[in-house]
Amino acid sequence: MVIDATTPHTTTAATRRSGSRLRLARGSVAIATATIALFGLGAAVAPSSVSHSAIIGMVPFAAVLAIAGLGQLLVVQQGGIDVSVAGGISLAVVIVTHEPDGDSARLAPAIAMAIGFAIAAGLVNGLLVTRLRLSAIIATLGMNSLLYGAVFAVSGGTPRSTTRLLARIAGDTTWGIPNAALFAVAALAVVAVLTKKTVAGRRFEAIGASPAAARAVGLRVRTHRTLAFVWAQLLYCLAGILLAGITHQPTAFQGDSLLLPSVAVVVLAGTSLLGGRGFPVATAIAAVFLRELQQFVLALGVDTSVQTLVQAIALAVGVALYSIDWSAVRQRWFGPGATHRQGDAS
Amino acid sequence: MKRRRSVTALALAASLAAIGVAGCKSRSPSTSASVAPPSHRDGAPDWCGTTQITLAQLDGFGGNSWRLVTTASGEDEVKKCPSVTSYQYANGNGDTQKAISDIQAFTAKGVDAMVVFGDAGQAMLPAIRSAYKAGVVVVPYRVEVGGKAGVDYTQFIGASFVNDGVSWGTWIKRILPHGGHLLFLSGPKGNSQGNDELKGMTSVLDESYQFLNEAPYDVTNWDPALTQTVLTAEIAKNPKIDVIVSDFGPSLVGALPVFTRSGRSIPALATSDGNALGCFWKDNQAANPEFKLFTVATGNDNVRLAVDWAVAKATGGKPPDATAFQAPSFEDSVTGTPHPVACEPSLPGDIYLSAQLAKDAQVAAVNRK
Repeated sequence: MVIDATTPHTTTAATRRSGSRLRLARGSVAIATATIALFGLGAAVAPSSVSHSAIIGMVPFAAVLAIAGLGQLLVVQQGGIDVSVAGGISLAVVIVTHEPDGDSARLAPAIAMAIGFAIAAGLVNGLLVTRLRLSAIIATLGMNSLLYGAVFAVSGGTPRSTTRLLARIAGDTTWGIPNAALFAVAALAVVAVLTKKTVAGRRFEAIGASPAAARAVGLRVRTHRTLAFVWAQLLYCLAGILLAGITHQPTAFQGDSLLLPSVAVVVLAGTSLLGGRGFPVATAIAAVFLRELQQFVLALGVDTSVQTLVQAIALAVGVALYSIDWSAVRQRWFGPGATHRQGDAS
Repeated sequence: MKRRRSVTALALAASLAAIGVAGCKSRSPSTSASVAPPSHRDGAPDWCGTTQITLAQLDGFGGNSWRLVTTASGEDEVKKCPSVTSYQYANGNGDTQKAISDIQAFTAKGVDAMVVFGDAGQAMLPAIRSAYKAGVVVVPYRVEVGGKAGVDYTQFIGASFVNDGVSWGTWIKRILPHGGHLLFLSGPKGNSQGNDELKGMTSVLDESYQFLNEAPYDVTNWDPALTQTVLTAEIAKNPKIDVIVSDFGPSLVGALPVFTRSGRSIPALATSDGNALGCFWKDNQAANPEFKLFTVATGNDNVRLAVDWAVAKATGGKPPDATAFQAPSFEDSVTGTPHPVACEPSLPGDIYLSAQLAKDAQVAAVNRK
């Protein structure tokens, strides 16, 4: 029963539920297909966008986005949006560059400190949302400001150059694969296994789908929701540490440019913003899609404004795929029979 | 009750009027200093006059090491003139509203002179103008805020980015006399700094030098992550890049290894200086035979000229002749003049060896929390 409740706003009609499941599963297929199509289009129109050096350069940033997206996914599964992703990533970047100050020996304590801040920020976010019943956007918006306050307190707003050790860990390649990608795969495996293959993970999704029903069957709703924010902050922390290593001379506001994309990859992967079932693998694929799209428009050499427009259109199409009731659209344009025929075909 | 309220209102009106009169009386018109013959404080530079003043330095955004060194440089310049009895600093934190209210607050506090880094550009002009009209000597610098000197502010101290472009172009011509493929990276789209630098370069370089980037420059927002992404795309697209020109050298340090990973030598680089970049060159030049480096001073000393002007106008000293900061050439790995590539591995990567400010003072500035 618990597993069945993982679609958002479970309805009583079994047919509606199975239709919704089909739609969401199709979402994962859609983003994978779109990504393959994008690589195909790149090979045909702008071959440099799929060259070895372009992909090696793109993958670390896709990995960072995938990890941040996985964090955002956990919060979105609980029906919230985590705005503090920007502050969380920026704080991790600042701590792991400013505290060691170029000395690799001091990297480990700095990472421990960053993790400590992440857990604290996640706990406060969770308590604000579950105990004080603040909306997630409001709570995390406030937390974002607090985290930026910490950024200034730690560093005066100026991160240092990355230590050589961190640059090697995050920026180098192992067997030709960028290390950041290996971290992303590990994070993906942890999130996917924990949410899909463990009892706690199944409860987590059920709570996201319907907190009221979950509470009624005795699940610890508050604990799970709070932990969503803590896990999310830990993933942002990992993303920030990797970003600091990849960029070598990061700014104190490095997380800002990941706020919107982190939500975008979750949506493109087919996860409902209302909460419920999540798609970790599709989220990681969506991160590759967004970053490759950026490489593609850069390789085309079009104006910056066109680059921004292409990315916006891709997002709009992605969101439209899941949020528009296409059967209603078909009914309106082709008459009531259209849906039936479509249903037969599928 | 009614009478008490009217008495209160009367008292309030009277006190407001008194404040208004005091505000009007407290300032002399800012132009009076230029009419009086220049005075000079013994043992101080020419620009330091005898009238005692207070001075404020205002930043639109103070959150990077370049700004911290620049702020410390401004404070250091102020110390050369004993006539400045008080120095204060405000950081707008990238918030235009705060930057504007900082100017208003210092005007209300009654400072005599302000140097303003107007990051928000023309949005700062009304606040700057009202401070100037209230009798404060206002010297905006580096970022153009519109308006006219003598009408909206005392004097604008620009930076000659065209001059930087000319310096880069001249160097490129020397190392590649028969033309080449250039890649020019600058900050946000439409920023005037990049346009001016390009103007300078094209005044020196003919058609045999081909720019590979999107016109007028590849947009990086001066963000290291975006710089890296853009450079990755350009490297993949262009099998031959002879020179990269960038107006923020240190942001390239994370991006340049992309060449090595692609099995190519890092090309020549014409940019602005930074300790991290100098050290990166020293570490990588042996493995990358085509990696030559030329830098212009990154311009922390622009603020010194602005301070000189502001202090001169407010204290009655003699203002400098220059009204724009010309960044001198700093490092050249080919000729070693004016300086060979500089690297201080024991110091933080984000200090600027081209700045006049002493190294230990820079370290103290960037370590300040």
